[in-house]
Amino acid sequence: MNGRLFLQQVLNGLAIGSVYAIFALGYTLIFSVLRIINFTHGAIFTLGAYATYALTGSQFGINGLLAGATLPVRLPFVLALLGGSLVAAVSGVIVERLAFRPLRTRGADPLLTLVSSLGVAVALVNVTQYLFGAEPYSFPDPLSELPSAVNFGTAGQPVLVRTVQVVIFGVSIVMLVLLTYLMNATRTGKALRAVAEDTTTSSLLGIDTDRLILLTFVISGFLGGVTGTLIGLSVGIAGPYFGIAFGLKGLAVIVLGGLGDIPGAVVGGLVIGLAEAFVPAQYIAYREAVPFALLFLVLLVRPQGLLGRAQVQKV
Amino acid sequence: MATFLATYDFLLVSMVLAAVLALTLYLPLMAGQLSVASPGFYALGGYVAAILSTKVFHPAPGLYPVSLVLIEMAVAAVVSGILGIAVGLPALRLRGIFLALATIAFVQILGVVALNLDVTGGAIGIFGIPQPFGSQLQYMWLAIPLLLLSMLFVARLERTRTGRALIALREDELAAAAMGVDPTYHKVLAFTASAVLAGAVGAISAHFINTWNSRQGTFDTSVNLMAFVLVGGSRTFVGPVVGGLVLTALPEALRGVADVGGLPPWFAQFLRDGRLIIFGVLIALGTVFFPHGLITPGLLGRLGLGRRTGRV
Repeated sequence: MNGRLFLQQVLNGLAIGSVYAIFALGYTLIFSVLRIINFTHGAIFTLGAYATYALTGSQFGINGLLAGATLPVRLPFVLALLGGSLVAAVSGVIVERLAFRPLRTRGADPLLTLVSSLGVAVALVNVTQYLFGAEPYSFPDPLSELPSAVNFGTAGQPVLVRTVQVVIFGVSIVMLVLLTYLMNATRTGKALRAVAEDTTTSSLLGIDTDRLILLTFVISGFLGGVTGTLIGLSVGIAGPYFGIAFGLKGLAVIVLGGLGDIPGAVVGGLVIGLAEAFVPAQYIAYREAVPFALLFLVLLVRPQGLLGRAQVQKV
Repeated sequence: MATFLATYDFLLVSMVLAAVLALTLYLPLMAGQLSVASPGFYALGGYVAAILSTKVFHPAPGLYPVSLVLIEMAVAAVVSGILGIAVGLPALRLRGIFLALATIAFVQILGVVALNLDVTGGAIGIFGIPQPFGSQLQYMWLAIPLLLLSMLFVARLERTRTGRALIALREDELAAAAMGVDPTYHKVLAFTASAVLAGAVGAISAHFINTWNSRQGTFDTSVNLMAFVLVGGSRTFVGPVVGGLVLTALPEALRGVADVGGLPPWFAQFLRDGRLIIFGVLIALGTVFFPHGLITPGLLGRLGLGRRTGRV
């Protein structure tokens, strides 16, 4: 593999890896606070993508309840992205109220909460299908004014990356910076970290844990909506179920990074993005198995994740 | 009755097979291990049967001999069991959510492999799997005995030393280990038994569905099985069986309700097209209002069905 091709794959890997990273942050934030995997994250991702699609004023498909309709608004893509992600954030709140809070107040087994979140995920995916139909959608291209690829090499030695990938990488980095700022430099972030460390103690110290848990779901839903839209922009919306497959991949990312570990989720996302980019062309059909093979191996060798601290088993 | 059986033949057999599959999730859960690997073994068993019946055995035209289906089931069970030991030995060192995640990964990897191998027919899969029976309902001759045998097996298991060891592991692994129960041995045993059973169900299903591809035995199946067990009840083997039967029938039952006249048209339409929405919501509500599932050992005791052994 020559240097040019190598650079090409690194850039591709980073672009997709950065999306995995912000998607996984949505999972990992909730895990860090509640010690529960929120299986609705993939469904919220899908919902966000569809909401953005609707807000751009595009027409709904041919099979759903809303077939043929369009929203009376036609937002520019950036505003639609924000709006769609807000819809995803609101659905995060609904999910918390419906699937998590009732069980939390009863002190239920975490496995039950997992099943309850799966139930809500099934419901959400099928609400999406009921409204939008099962057919694939593709976004109106907001980047059509721009050249379709950006050259990172020289004119003689081109290293071309699709413009949409560059935009995705940029948006992901902005989200990462905002989230890092929120978590490390604000009072809210400090409170969130305290709740993640120990819910009971932080509640005794006067932190409104229920409000912060809700906030976690808002942020997580928002990140899910942003990722759904970005992936939809890059490869189209394959149907109501496309978030489920993506959601499972996100699990690999957070386990790789150490469950509940925020920098870990970023590293995990980039590692998986790069690993996928470097699958040799003749094995490309097996690329979808790479994140899961990594997940399986990491669990066996380092269950605490690449960056995680080993946990001493309680006696 | 005859019309009912003829109309719902596919559903009825599916219900029974789902109940057996629910037991495959229950077996490791007896030892407190949430493994969702059984859809993977189910898929594997289906491929074994599909390959044997279409490429290896060349039976005479006409109905496919049931004896060959039984042989396929045995081969599928053995193959799944061997893979079960191979995967279980490393994976069962993990606990709780980590085991669940590792088994999700296992199912995903098997799916990608099945999608890409030539022997499994790639994306198209294997179709035209020969039929041993003249009607779908006759699959009950295989499904019912399998369900009864596996229920009997699990019921007996709960009364044996091994079964009690599994339950001891569920209640407190450290204490059980201190009392001389080998955690790894028993967990892998339960996991392998589950793999064997799932492989056998897969072999029947491949014939029953007539075609087998990588969309069989996926994460969706894992979700359904978890719902069967946790909604049905995870503390007695009756729970998963009831959960499998009821939840498999539920979407069809909702469709049936929609067909009864007198409902507002939009509502009937919703019951038909939105039945999976209702299914999902019911699972979520079930976990809130029936945290121990519909069927609990206490309930069985009150009905005079449970044996008086007290809680372990």
